[in-house]
Amino acid sequence: MSEDRGERRPRPRGGRRPRRKVCSFCVDKIEYIDYKDINRLRRFTNERGKILPRRMSGNCAKHQRQLSEAIKRARAIALMPYTVE
Amino acid sequence: MNRYEMIYIIDADLEEAARKELIEKVSALITNNGGEIEKVDETWGKRKLAYAIDYKTEGWYVLVNFKAPVELPRELERNLQINENVLRYLVIKLVEKKASVKPRPERPAPVAAPVEEAPAAEEAAPAEAAPVAKEAPAEAAEEAAPAEAPAAEETPAE
Repeated sequence: MSEDRGERRPRPRGGRRPRRKVCSFCVDKIEYIDYKDINRLRRFTNERGKILPRRMSGNCAKHQRQLSEAIKRARAIALMPYTVE
Repeated sequence: MNRYEMIYIIDADLEEAARKELIEKVSALITNNGGEIEKVDETWGKRKLAYAIDYKTEGWYVLVNFKAPVELPRELERNLQINENVLRYLVIKLVEKKASVKPRPERPAPVAAPVEEAPAAEEAAPAEAAPVAKEAPAEAAEEAAPAEAPAAEETPAE
């Protein structure tokens, strides 16, 4: 109910209002995010290997929690980097 | 009994015989402590590590799915910790849900079939075939149908 700040804010003339993001895991009906699926997980990290915040990824809270867990697992077994310099 | 998934990384410099032996040893550790192995997946094989571990840039990944009593993972981790050829390990408890990669529970034969086949299968592979056949159909009935369909269409190319 209260999460879509971006959409409500009145935009000054001409500015495109940001599209409401939808959780890609909900769209794909994924209930368990696998830490081995690194191609998918990589999309939710920036080029330095950091996990993207929800406001950028558009994930729902439930999936963002699972996602961060999965990424951290993947990091632990060297499937994903902790940092990229 | 819980279902677990373990992934561990063996030193890639270890020669093949020693590696096989190590995998055997880990598998034996599971079965000797009351667990049953569902699958040992070595298809991952040699992979580049995302970061260097002990100055090594490559590792041999082994994925093991198993059922085990709750005390086993701790014992398993203790042993993997000791072994210096194991660079990393991760044991997690499996949640039975639609995964983002294809579902791990293997689809068993049609529900009616295993009942007749069970004795035959038992002779062929006494250790593993029987318990799997017993428990699989019940699980499969619940989850196989919904789990399989969406996962199939979006299975990413690995």
